[in-house]
Amino acid sequence: MNIVVKIGLRFLFILILQVLILNQIEIGFGIQLFVYPLFILLLPVEMSVVILMVFAFALGILIDAMSNTYGLHASSLLVVAYLRPMVFKLFAPRDGYDPLLETNIFSMGNTWFLKVFGLLIIIHHFWFFMLEMFKLNELAFVLQKTAFSAPLSFLICILLQYLFIRNRVEK
Amino acid sequence: MRNFLAFIRRFQVLLIFALMQGVALALYFTFVHFPRSQYLTTASEISGSILEIRNDITKHFDLSKNNTNLQEENIRLMEQANAMSFISMDNGLFEINDTVHKQQYTYMPASIINSTHDKRNNYFTLNIGSAQGVKRGMGVFSGKGVVGVIHNTSKHYSVVKSCLTETINIDIMIENSGQFGLLKWNGKDARRGTMWGVSNDLEVKKWSKVTTRGGGGIFPRGITVGKVERADVVEGKPLWDITILFSEDYRSLQRVYVVKNLLLEEQKELESQTPNNPLQ
Repeated sequence: MNIVVKIGLRFLFILILQVLILNQIEIGFGIQLFVYPLFILLLPVEMSVVILMVFAFALGILIDAMSNTYGLHASSLLVVAYLRPMVFKLFAPRDGYDPLLETNIFSMGNTWFLKVFGLLIIIHHFWFFMLEMFKLNELAFVLQKTAFSAPLSFLICILLQYLFIRNRVEK
Repeated sequence: MRNFLAFIRRFQVLLIFALMQGVALALYFTFVHFPRSQYLTTASEISGSILEIRNDITKHFDLSKNNTNLQEENIRLMEQANAMSFISMDNGLFEINDTVHKQQYTYMPASIINSTHDKRNNYFTLNIGSAQGVKRGMGVFSGKGVVGVIHNTSKHYSVVKSCLTETINIDIMIENSGQFGLLKWNGKDARRGTMWGVSNDLEVKKWSKVTTRGGGGIFPRGITVGKVERADVVEGKPLWDITILFSEDYRSLQRVYVVKNLLLEEQKELESQTPNNPLQ
């Protein structure tokens, strides 16, 4: 499939999944599920940070439009896009990234995915809940929300990859 | 100048990041306090119509519960109507209480097509908008209790700032004793809110009914909010921290009414003539 079509379809799919399904699932304990950081992770490795941030802003603001947060999702996804190159560099494989491979759980291995995506998703959730509360004396509640929500979102992102990614390259 | 250009080139990515972050955060914080436009909210035509399609599918899930609620409300209204509008004074002599003559509020029915209850600030989307006469600042309530205040409208949809937002600040009172305060929500439990502003030298009875006070002209007086569940002491302030158990369960709410106060302008005008009015 053409890479542009692929990214476009993935953009729409993640948007609809987040807005119409995951935003409505309310488990309690302040748990909220966000899968859209996965979209930023799966963009090609050689893509420049500025284009990443443009994608992040567009996806974030569209999710905001459907959940009345008006900039909150956009802000937290921008952080993910901005930090992605640095986190990638931090956990780079010994012989660098293969620009032809997509950075998913199959091509990069479980350990890499756990480290890189785990870190990004924790940062994303923490930033989101911190801005949503915007009070330092509720830090404990913010940490509780992050600690409960991030693992669940992470699990759903793994499931999504097992369901939808074809031509798996096992390492 | 050259140094400046070099500086920009060196921190190009960081500057673009800061710029976009600034736009996003500015949008967020202006929306929470004062919405400038209905674009990019669920009141906009595109997202409103998508959410309406989804609601057409999911609205049937709570149908029987909603019917029961409606029946309860009808019974309450029938009892009220019998008791109020026909007062017998003597044998063969009676007075008809003409309620249309002194009507102050009109009501519009609406359905909630999108809602959340788990976020820090929860907004509900209604399927009526400015074309039906909805305006920012009108009150919204259901058969069981108060729901929120209209925050933002488009032509066919409107967004309600619900009781599950931090700064909802509805004027409420404890019915029997008349002590009044403001409604707030702490973001944790969708069944409980807090009442702020009751001085702690007054006695607060547990399980006494809390209703709207009707002070701001948004709601009629006496719409149920809930019951007093607990009153705790606030450290360092002479106030009670009163926990209210909401009478309405916002998690499965579908049908609501929007209140229009016909005498609101008159009230505002009168209040504005008072010098140093704190209500302004």
